[in-house]
Amino acid sequence: MNKKICITLNGKKTDLDVPTHRLLLDLLRDEIGLTGTKEGCGTGDCGACTVLLNGKPVNSCLIFSGELDGADIVTIEGLKIGPELHPVQQAFVQDGGVQCGYCTSGMLMMSKALLDENPDPSEEEIRFALSGNLCRCTGYAKIVKAVQDAAAELRARRSNAG
Amino acid sequence: MEQLTVVGKPVTRVDALEKVTGEAVYGYDLVLPDMVYGKVLFSPKAHAKIKRIDTEKARKFPGVVAVVTGKDAPWIHGESIRDKPFLAQDKVRYIGEPVAAVAAIDEDTAQAAARLIEVEYEELPVYVDPEAAARPDAVAIHENFASYRKMNFITPGAAPNVCEHFKLRTGDVEQGFRESDIVLEERYTVPTIQHAAMEPHSAHAQVDPATGCVTIWVANDAPFRALHEISEALGMPKEKIRFINPLQGGGFGSKGGLKVEPIAVALAYHTKGRPVRVKFNREETFISTLVRNEAVVYIKSGMKKDGTLRARAMTIYWGGGAYAEKSPTVCIRGSLPGPGPYRIPHVKVDGYAVYTNKPVSGSFRGYGIPKVAWACEQHTDELAKKIGMDPLAFRLKNVFVDGDVSYWGEELHSVGLKETLTKAAEAIEWGKKVEVLPGSRVKGLKFGKGLACIQKPTRSPTTSSAGVIVNARGEVAVLAGTVEIGQGCNTILSQVAAEELKIPIEKIHMAQLDTDAIPFDASTTSSRSTYHMGNAVRGAAIDARDKIAAMASPMLEAKKEELAFADGKVFLKNQPQMALAVGDVIRRKLGAEGTVRGDASYTYEIAKDLDLETGHSDHASAFYMYATQAAVIAVDEETGRARLLRMSAAHDVGKAINPANCAAQIEGGLAMGIGSALHEHLVIDEQGKVRNPSFLDYHLVTALDLPEMVPIIVECAEPEGPYGAKGLGEPGLAPTPAAIGNAVADAIGVRVYDLPLSPERIFRAIQQKKKKTAA
Repeated sequence: MNKKICITLNGKKTDLDVPTHRLLLDLLRDEIGLTGTKEGCGTGDCGACTVLLNGKPVNSCLIFSGELDGADIVTIEGLKIGPELHPVQQAFVQDGGVQCGYCTSGMLMMSKALLDENPDPSEEEIRFALSGNLCRCTGYAKIVKAVQDAAAELRARRSNAG
Repeated sequence: MEQLTVVGKPVTRVDALEKVTGEAVYGYDLVLPDMVYGKVLFSPKAHAKIKRIDTEKARKFPGVVAVVTGKDAPWIHGESIRDKPFLAQDKVRYIGEPVAAVAAIDEDTAQAAARLIEVEYEELPVYVDPEAAARPDAVAIHENFASYRKMNFITPGAAPNVCEHFKLRTGDVEQGFRESDIVLEERYTVPTIQHAAMEPHSAHAQVDPATGCVTIWVANDAPFRALHEISEALGMPKEKIRFINPLQGGGFGSKGGLKVEPIAVALAYHTKGRPVRVKFNREETFISTLVRNEAVVYIKSGMKKDGTLRARAMTIYWGGGAYAEKSPTVCIRGSLPGPGPYRIPHVKVDGYAVYTNKPVSGSFRGYGIPKVAWACEQHTDELAKKIGMDPLAFRLKNVFVDGDVSYWGEELHSVGLKETLTKAAEAIEWGKKVEVLPGSRVKGLKFGKGLACIQKPTRSPTTSSAGVIVNARGEVAVLAGTVEIGQGCNTILSQVAAEELKIPIEKIHMAQLDTDAIPFDASTTSSRSTYHMGNAVRGAAIDARDKIAAMASPMLEAKKEELAFADGKVFLKNQPQMALAVGDVIRRKLGAEGTVRGDASYTYEIAKDLDLETGHSDHASAFYMYATQAAVIAVDEETGRARLLRMSAAHDVGKAINPANCAAQIEGGLAMGIGSALHEHLVIDEQGKVRNPSFLDYHLVTALDLPEMVPIIVECAEPEGPYGAKGLGEPGLAPTPAAIGNAVADAIGVRVYDLPLSPERIFRAIQQKKKKTAA
């Protein structure tokens, strides 16, 4: 069964006619063509497909499209701030938080969600926040450092702006 | 030596930007025009004859484009032993073996149709234990094994399921044991684990109806070898087959050879030219691609009272699963250095790669070394304990040093092992009691320290070739067949090209891997790329630079020898202001679209092949990697839970071309090693069924599971390596379980012989010790 929905995707209003059972992950990747969101397991266990749904991080492989009318969705393709990398993206590049890169989109979206909610997280809080995002390459050390550096950069920007 | 400008620097990864923006296209992301979607029917039986397959209902299902079974794709492939059908032929040998495949207009349709295929099986005896499968009276899992085509170095065993029997014979072990004051014999086991790269497996294939050419898009770590294997199987010239590599989301050994490729090809022959996409989901990736060999290791050593090793005998069973894949070479290259990096005059090793009715096993980062190290390095601690010697001192007394002739007959050089031992030990304050932060819980906890060291060979002899193209804008394209699997090769090879051409790294571009355009490379495996492809790219860059110098010579009115390169320019050594941009030299000589190409090839030559009777070779490996890791652990006596407090990892890399990337490789390897030590186990039951094929039940390490990690780079230069470099990719996880096992034994005073070191296993070991003490 198809359903007409209107979502805000990376800041743009988008009208869609979708099968209600289509998963958000498949909607993004197969129907809209945004393949930056990755499929690692399809069962909500690895976090590679993390996107922001109304500001909160979710596994997009667990969300049915039929539920999405009126939703605000941000994916990795919408993380940049204008032409500039978001500080978490910049920090992942600088600190070597990326190896094969397949978990990176999910890690970045989860990191952004954490920093939106907690601008000054401890290492333990960062590790806890990222514990649902699996990475097989890095051993997480450089990822944790990147989130710490991004947090510092965001705090500095806020205090400059304030 | 000329000062290095970019080699040796912690350059930022050249591929990070496209990965943090989501723009990078992986195999799993690839969309081809007009493609159809494939799904597979997998065998539910571990060992059975196929009595009947009925595909009628599937063929008639609306939206289905093609249905194929083994009859439609009568091809057999295999790297060292040609034993694996594209789709099951007459029988199945493991649960998860592809039996039939469907291509349809979308994935849901293909899946629904695949479920309509009916198969009737007649069950056969199932072997899940490699030792039982290796018995001479076992039923053959491959009835026609004798007729299979095999590489010339394969030496099958006498028993029907032993597809490779590796032998190492040095001195006389029985005499060695007689000469010894102390003899110790033990048995260690390592279970099946999986690579679990974050990107599941997939492949796309297309057969051009006009030319018959086959194109395969796949994130394969050895596209030239895969091409060879497809060509052999199809009986088709290599020129008609093309592999194109999209980006790979991790592999760790699982994405070489042929996994999903044969299914995509089998379907593509029946879709009238439409490309076929076959994606495995996570469960399918767990059961039907590749797992790491399980191993049973018997080790017996004899030594003098002062700790001098005299003799070592090992028998190693490598569980191979249903098809040989790389198990024979894992058996050879894992068994050869199995007795460890020690001076031992009398050595005997028998390694058996054994068919079982389990998922196909083969290469995994470390290629056998983690399994033999789990046994050998804990055994080493037990030997040291027998004579009351410190395990570090015991190792320092017995390990290989420069000039030693190894027990396989090779004179060793550039051995950085002792330095890794002392540095890794230092980093955990070896010899001191574990210090606990004030206020931390200590009640009920036992603390311990342990270390383990390894020596790892690389696949030899092998070849890497490369091209370097410089254009009239001073930009460079590097044509290299090394696959960026996350390890950072694109950054390392860019650094090498930038160094030799003295062109800024921002102007270096790594060309996409396409076997029609890129020169040959053996494989992105075995930690071989920095050394082999590093040498090839370096040679190609020097070749291009020489050609540019020859062009610039008349323009600058100077001899070639009087010219030097820096900052993208060529200039007179003694008059640096007399300079031309490299791009301008090419433009003046060849026009605005002119290019200069340099080429080079590097092969590590071996004078004498491995002797199949003795395992001896004067050059078994182009280079050897050495590493020591050390662990500090707290074990909860009540629960048996082991918690790592700190781990150091000292790795001899020869020369760190990119120290940041080296540290990243070490940390990543260490984390994987920690997972394999403490909780990873792909559970396969007596019927051959994988019981935990999901990330919910197969526990990978998370950000919360890891201790403080201390990566340490040791540089003991390899003369033939580029700038002295060796390799690094694999050893990161090789000594880890043994180092942790030694720390656990130090903490609880009793040895655990089987992986993983689960709370249950440690708890039981503690209970048994208590019972023994009470008795």
